[in-house]
Amino acid sequence: MLEAHIVKHRRDFTVDVRLRIAEGGCLALFGASGAGKSTILSSIAGIEQPDEGVVRLGDLQLFPPSLPLHRRPVGYLTQDPHLFPHLTVEGNIVFGLGSRRTSAEAGWLQHLRESMGLSSIWHAPAAQISGGQARRVALARMLARRPPLVLLDEPFGGLDRQLVRELIDALLAWRAEIEFILMVIDHQAEILERLCPHAAVISQGRIVQQGSWDQIRAAPADRAIGELLRPL
Amino acid sequence: MAARWIGRGGIVAFALALLYPLSGLLGPVGPWRWDQDVAPQTLASIRVSLGLTGVAMIVVLLVGTPVAIYIARANFRERLLWQGALLLSILLPPLALGILFSIAFGPAGAAGRWLEHFGVRMSNNPPAFVATQVYVSIGYYVLGAIAAFQAVPAMLEKHAALLGQPPWAVFWRVTFPLSRLGLAAALSVAWVRALGEFGAVAITAYYPSGMPVQLWVNLQSFGLPAVMPLLVIFLAAALPLPWVIHLLAQRRPHA
Repeated sequence: MLEAHIVKHRRDFTVDVRLRIAEGGCLALFGASGAGKSTILSSIAGIEQPDEGVVRLGDLQLFPPSLPLHRRPVGYLTQDPHLFPHLTVEGNIVFGLGSRRTSAEAGWLQHLRESMGLSSIWHAPAAQISGGQARRVALARMLARRPPLVLLDEPFGGLDRQLVRELIDALLAWRAEIEFILMVIDHQAEILERLCPHAAVISQGRIVQQGSWDQIRAAPADRAIGELLRPL
Repeated sequence: MAARWIGRGGIVAFALALLYPLSGLLGPVGPWRWDQDVAPQTLASIRVSLGLTGVAMIVVLLVGTPVAIYIARANFRERLLWQGALLLSILLPPLALGILFSIAFGPAGAAGRWLEHFGVRMSNNPPAFVATQVYVSIGYYVLGAIAAFQAVPAMLEKHAALLGQPPWAVFWRVTFPLSRLGLAAALSVAWVRALGEFGAVAITAYYPSGMPVQLWVNLQSFGLPAVMPLLVIFLAAALPLPWVIHLLAQRRPHA
């Protein structure tokens, strides 16, 4: 169970949201650019510090006091894959694992490597792979530690539809296997809809609507949200 | 193609101009002197310079690296303040630094009195030599190291931490490998600066004499013929370390 109350003062408005996601649950955050969605996610991850509030994952208190990043069992993925350019693909993926690997862990890595289609680039320098491959590697690196909470901040931005489809399929398959709590942000409702059946609509740092996609589409909280949901 | 040759010609001209003063080694100074009057003291000065400058560089690394990390990650205003302090330390003319050092660490200075309680006098001895070299070179190292650390994206370090790595592991596995070329350049500059230091060391630690002081002694006592061999040895001794550091730093580290 993830429980979060995030209060973060920004220049133009204050982000103030309360969230509760059950074990293995999923929540999409939807809204216009600059609505405060990324602030919510990075505050839960610990990249930013909330000004007030509380973040709890199961029995583990993430805030306050702010738990150091390395003690947070959180997977965090953004549009920039942030691969370590001085390491190989393998070096990146095993980065968060211990140096001594059990046979079970080695088997898990093998499974991850094959199912993510990384065998051909496994020993390649991370700085030399393509943008699409880098996203796959970043996803595999995050999943390698099997985090109970996964936060995705527009990880599909700038990718072609085929690659987005592949990554979404991979995420759904891994979610069925690892059963992590998932929070995801994207500008495209169709991407979010494939990942999560429920969404919270964020506007000016507040949750203005919450429910299934059908409910949100049927009666958008305001005109701007309706415009965001309208097909191109 | 033509542009490349013009560029290459330009760099050759630059290198020739830069190294032109070395042609003085071929100057008409008479036969070089390397006899019993010159050789033992000259060899001793090489041992002093390399050994004590090595100790000074270890101090510079151990103290300067955490300071540079702190300043590189500080906010803009705080960073400007500390960078100003560093600039002040390297702006002082070496002779002035030597005089101020002697007063501050002499019997009249608080630090000097405190050190005397432990039987340490900061004048004409190895501690004074090392401390002076640290003072003249650490500013160069820290300023270079700050730039090297700032070139490592903070988000990479945060992602490394979110992958379960404690701060020391983030430093060794991400920050250091990505900044090591800049750190090597900063350490090389500090090494060359300390090894060649004359003005400050001549005031604070004339003895034990390092190579720059010995150059002065040889010039005063025996003239240019006794200076030239030490100059050649100085160049041969000073160059390998920064060169090796650069070579090591440029190895591709893919693991």
